[in-house]
Amino acid sequence: MLQLKRDYLDQKVLERLSTLQLHARLPMIGSVSGKHRSPIRGSSLEFAEYRKYVPGDDPRRLDWRAYARNDRYYIKEFEADTNLRMCLVVDTSGSMNFAYNGTSKLDYARRVAGTLAYIAAQQGDAVGLYCAGTGFHKEIPPKRSATHLSAVLDELGEMEASGETGLANVLHETAERVPQRALIVVLSDLFIEPEVVRNCLEHLRFRKHDVAVFHLLEQSELELEFDRPMRFVDMEGGEPILADPTIIGAQYQRALEIYLESMNTVIHDTEVDYHRIRINENYDDVLARFLLGRTPKRHK
Amino acid sequence: MGFLQPLALIALPLIALPILIHLINQHRHRTIPWAAMMFLMSAKRMSKGMARLRHFLILLMRVLAVAALIFVVSRPLSGGWLGSIGMSKPDATLILLDRSASMEIQDLQAGQSKRSAALQKLAQLLEQGDYGTHLVLIDSASGQLQEVDSPKALLGLPTTGSSATSADIPGMLESALAYLKANQSGRVDVWICSDLSENDWAVESGRWQAIREEFAKLEGVHHFLLAYADLPAHNVSVRVENVQRWERGNTAELILDVIVRSKGSSDITPQEIPIEFEVNNVRSVVEVELDGQGASLKGHRIPIDTKLRSGWGSVGVPGDANPLDNRFFFVFSEPTVRRAVVVSDDIKNGEAFRQALAIPIDPRLEHQVDVISVDRIAEGTSLSSLAVNHSLDSDTRLKGTSEWLKWETTGLLIWKAALPRGAVAAQIAQFVDSGRVVMFFPPNAPPATRKESQISDEQLFGSHWGDWQTPGNQKVFSTSWWRGDTDLLAHVASGDALPLNELRTYRYRSFESPGTPLARFDDDASMLTRVATDRGAVYFCSALPTAQFSSLEREGVIFYVILQRALENGCRALAVASQRDPAPDVLTDRNAWELVAPMDNSDAPLHLSSQRGLHAGVYRDGAYWTAVNRSQIEDNATAVPIETVDALFDGMSYRRIDVDVGDTSALASELWRIFLLAMIVALLVEAVLSLPSKRVKTTPLIDFTVAGGRTE
Repeated sequence: MLQLKRDYLDQKVLERLSTLQLHARLPMIGSVSGKHRSPIRGSSLEFAEYRKYVPGDDPRRLDWRAYARNDRYYIKEFEADTNLRMCLVVDTSGSMNFAYNGTSKLDYARRVAGTLAYIAAQQGDAVGLYCAGTGFHKEIPPKRSATHLSAVLDELGEMEASGETGLANVLHETAERVPQRALIVVLSDLFIEPEVVRNCLEHLRFRKHDVAVFHLLEQSELELEFDRPMRFVDMEGGEPILADPTIIGAQYQRALEIYLESMNTVIHDTEVDYHRIRINENYDDVLARFLLGRTPKRHK
Repeated sequence: MGFLQPLALIALPLIALPILIHLINQHRHRTIPWAAMMFLMSAKRMSKGMARLRHFLILLMRVLAVAALIFVVSRPLSGGWLGSIGMSKPDATLILLDRSASMEIQDLQAGQSKRSAALQKLAQLLEQGDYGTHLVLIDSASGQLQEVDSPKALLGLPTTGSSATSADIPGMLESALAYLKANQSGRVDVWICSDLSENDWAVESGRWQAIREEFAKLEGVHHFLLAYADLPAHNVSVRVENVQRWERGNTAELILDVIVRSKGSSDITPQEIPIEFEVNNVRSVVEVELDGQGASLKGHRIPIDTKLRSGWGSVGVPGDANPLDNRFFFVFSEPTVRRAVVVSDDIKNGEAFRQALAIPIDPRLEHQVDVISVDRIAEGTSLSSLAVNHSLDSDTRLKGTSEWLKWETTGLLIWKAALPRGAVAAQIAQFVDSGRVVMFFPPNAPPATRKESQISDEQLFGSHWGDWQTPGNQKVFSTSWWRGDTDLLAHVASGDALPLNELRTYRYRSFESPGTPLARFDDDASMLTRVATDRGAVYFCSALPTAQFSSLEREGVIFYVILQRALENGCRALAVASQRDPAPDVLTDRNAWELVAPMDNSDAPLHLSSQRGLHAGVYRDGAYWTAVNRSQIEDNATAVPIETVDALFDGMSYRRIDVDVGDTSALASELWRIFLLAMIVALLVEAVLSLPSKRVKTTPLIDFTVAGGRTE
């Protein structure tokens, strides 16, 4: 058991989620044997398919029983299990510091990412971390070692949110830099234009990555429930806005509605694993739902 | 709009308070770090239209609410006139009240006359506002200035009551002008209450120019015209044109000419109306058919007791819009001896006058003519005899002049001689002033002596004789134009014109006169002219009757009619019964006039000496009777066009307020209720607008189970 010193990780949550496994929704190409399917046929116990013998195949893999029945040569293939690479992409723009009632979106992202990293490491998967922010930019490529997990968790504990978001750039860079198929977990409030998000996700999908998005929102952002004029200071350093929520409340709602509808379309088109989360939800419930949702059907 | 508490308007800048609070609030907002700025920016972009308008309306409603509250406290008054004078109060207020008979036109539903409605409105207005330290009334009937204690007192003053007089608006303004000049009152409001009757306003008078110029010199004088120019839909007035008492054997009767005038809608269907006669407490009713113009009843006979030598009566029509013109009083007496005096410097012409005057039109009349040589007049008159005592009545004054002339019993004086001067001229002026008639004929024919030439230079009544005129190539002068509608040359009763076109004049003596020509020769020279006088009549005739000068005597008719009419007019002043127009001094000729009728008119304070002669009624002093009725022009009065009235006040601070007689609303009423209501409405609207918009909980907002992707 890894000695946990990071206060954002909850031991009880880890214990509760220890019974669940993180599965990739797409076949992974790992470096070692693991718990995830691979596109390459291997030597696991799980039968994959028959295929006709072609010259050059190992004669030891011929299925003689099939030959006896059909008088033809068939090669019996089995699935290969491998490990996965999980890249945690955490938005560290200033907006992630938003916390109206206690927990900030960055804290929430930190807990989710930390817990996922721990679970992945526990099942032998490689974990990497990419912090997407102009003020705080870190990049830890995925590795499998316990020390590497420690570095990721340390980095999660130390990361701060400031400046404008660099999520789009980081996602594009991640799509290009991660050489083989990987699970890309994005934790962000996604306060960028949906079309920009679409481009990023399509890029990741094009590179055969399994993409999961945790869209973190705070309740007050959704409702704008203030009864007097407010001076809204842009947490990402933009111009402040003086507005009376009683006057522009309806328009705010309308803008939010348009944004979320566009985001739904993007999610539908890019077929990513998308989770819209209010940060007042328990993150262990969110993770449980996430992990269960990724469990292959054949295991049910 | 005016205000009873104008000082409260000092707080008017407080209407900026909501704006100020709004601006302060803008600077006292909370600052909050915000992540979802992209939605805020979108919302701001979307809220530029309606949301900003809503916000502006909220501010506007708050401003209006504060303004309305301030107006409520300042107690606003309605009434457009106050707008022109701002908030300053007058130092004095003058009320020029038209008390003419036409101002008694009533609204039949409200039962209120134009005069009383105007007074009531004005009193109410002044009571609510401020009329300064002096409230002065100038009424048209008496023409006197009167200080009034309070606006309410206006309603009970006898000098604001009804009267049968006519008004002289320019004269009243002149009186106001004199008052203002004498008192230097500072800011003054002059209120004129009138029905814009044409005869009262005398818009053609040259006095208006002087009035405008004088008022323009005064600063701070504001004129307000309370105009009751509306006329009733239909009004009937009655008037007795002529009344005579005749005896036939053992019976006596009155013969009356009655005129009923109908004003208003001219397309009414003819209808019969009853005319009620009352003589000696005996009433009789005659139905006459009334069309759009009216009706006339000529020669209506009413039998009376032969013992009733003189008395009074009245003619009435049913009540209508103006009660003052529904009854007309008349008096009658036995016909007096019609006496004429002919002063002539020529026996033949004197005889011609005597013959034409001596023969009465009606054989029951008695005519008496004295022909006196002009030389006898000069001998019998001395300056001492002209000691005029104005405290005496006119007949008594005349008695003191020439006893042998019997002035007091003479109705007509024919003066065919050089114009007199000095004492005789003064006597003749008094003679005319007492209501008699004088006709001047040219002095005798040339040769003009030096003495006569000097005399002819004399002027009397602004007129003087010129030279004798003889026809040139033509043999005679003919009469090319004459007035056949009125006066001495009017058409006869049958409607036929006098045959003046047949008159031949061989010589005439021209004259210069400011009077009104009644007939002209074909060379445009005046043949007969009437000089304007207050009472009586003065005529100048350029032709002589004898055959040497004209065909007047030979053809006779014209000469006879002219002289008989002049004698009849002059002898009216001799009658013991007389008709008079109402005026303050109409009953000053005798000291003992007593009111005979009406005795039950409580509205008209006839018992007050100051109001005697201003109301229709019958007065008696021994054997003398007089009936006072509204003047004839009141019956014919029409309203002056509004534009004309406005033009009269050009260059003056002037405001006209048009009011209908039936309009019972006050000139100014407190409007605080309206402003209170406005404030409540503004606050309610503000509250509604300030309600937070209904939040739209859309499905995407609550749909947190969105998930995409597929498992391969």
